Amino acid sequence: MWRKIWKHKVEFYPYFSIYLFWFVGSFLSSLRVQNRPGIVTLGLITIPSILLITIAFVKTYKELPAD
Amino acid sequence: MQSHSLYVSADPSFDRKFAFITYGLLILLIVFFTYLHHGRPDVLQVPDNANISAWKNPSLEQTNIYDRMTGTERAQVREKGVPGTGILPVLFDSQGDLTAFIFAILCFIHARKHYGFWMASCFLIGSFVFTGLQESIAILLGRFTAGQAYAAAEQVTHGTYFFTKGVLWFIETPVAVCLSWFWIAYACVFTAGKVFPRMGVLGRATIGGLTAMIIDLWLDPVATSPEFMMWLWAKGDLIRVLGINHSNFVGWFLLIFLFAILWEWMPALVRKWGRAKATIAFFGIVLLTDVAMLIFLVVYNTYFVRNVLHLFGVSELQIPPGW
Repeated sequence: MWRKIWKHKVEFYPYFSIYLFWFVGSFLSSLRVQNRPGIVTLGLITIPSILLITIAFVKTYKELPAD
Repeated sequence: MQSHSLYVSADPSFDRKFAFITYGLLILLIVFFTYLHHGRPDVLQVPDNANISAWKNPSLEQTNIYDRMTGTERAQVREKGVPGTGILPVLFDSQGDLTAFIFAILCFIHARKHYGFWMASCFLIGSFVFTGLQESIAILLGRFTAGQAYAAAEQVTHGTYFFTKGVLWFIETPVAVCLSWFWIAYACVFTAGKVFPRMGVLGRATIGGLTAMIIDLWLDPVATSPEFMMWLWAKGDLIRVLGINHSNFVGWFLLIFLFAILWEWMPALVRKWGRAKATIAFFGIVLLTDVAMLIFLVVYNTYFVRNVLHLFGVSELQIPPGW
């Protein structure tokens, strides 16, 4: 699976970018925020977007030609 | 975005001239405004990150973040300035110059493969200028017309804001922010097209805009916290979501929604007028849409929001209460 993704890595660039940005920019950064109770939990609000991107990721993977 | 119908094949002779003019002009503008921001901050009255007491239009007291800070946080910021303004955090933070550049390159490579160099470049430069102009006009209008900055006192609903960090600048917007607009808009609208391939352009643009806006609902409360202070918004908006002017989220949706529609229109323009005329028309429409959107946001904030709130018998709304 990983070899196939690596071989066609360009197809996944938009998803990788969003995942990484979301993880570092929102999740890891929210852990540094003091005095704002609930700011980490607030991340649950992004579930629809992350779900949509994951569906697109899986769909892209399934559409790749077999090795 | 369905790549098969939006792919515009390469025209090496035109593409070379197009790239030279558009990228060249953009680089010149970035060099000029970066010099102005760092070298001559007096010209555009750039707020000094180290001397917060000198801020005007808005001052720290006139920003949303002031009310959400503890006394200790206010004292610390006044003494030490905006946190994380060293070159390393500004380059490598999640919204730093270098990080935004890497994500933008990745998405550009993807766009070039699926839509061709010209379409990918139009998305990059178009969204960069579209958002950079929109943000800079809102920032400078507030900075130079105190009416917006003193929104709360004058009961005007539209506020102003400014960014605190960035190495490279496009007018008064960090290049990192313009690049982030590009790649987030591209990734979200592409995702919408991938998940809903049979949906029309309006549907894809709507879902793409909502996808980005939902991500921003977590990103911005973090970015505007006292630990980061990446951008600061003046008080005065009658509806605040998670401590942030709701216009910010309306803007996120509208910018991506409108730009996606304009961009998907381009192959039709090429077939009708040829590539050169289509390029001029595209950038002309982008600029006109920018102005139209600005007028819409001012009218929306000044009249629409106030009247809707009056209908429900409230003067201000904070969602969620107490945040």
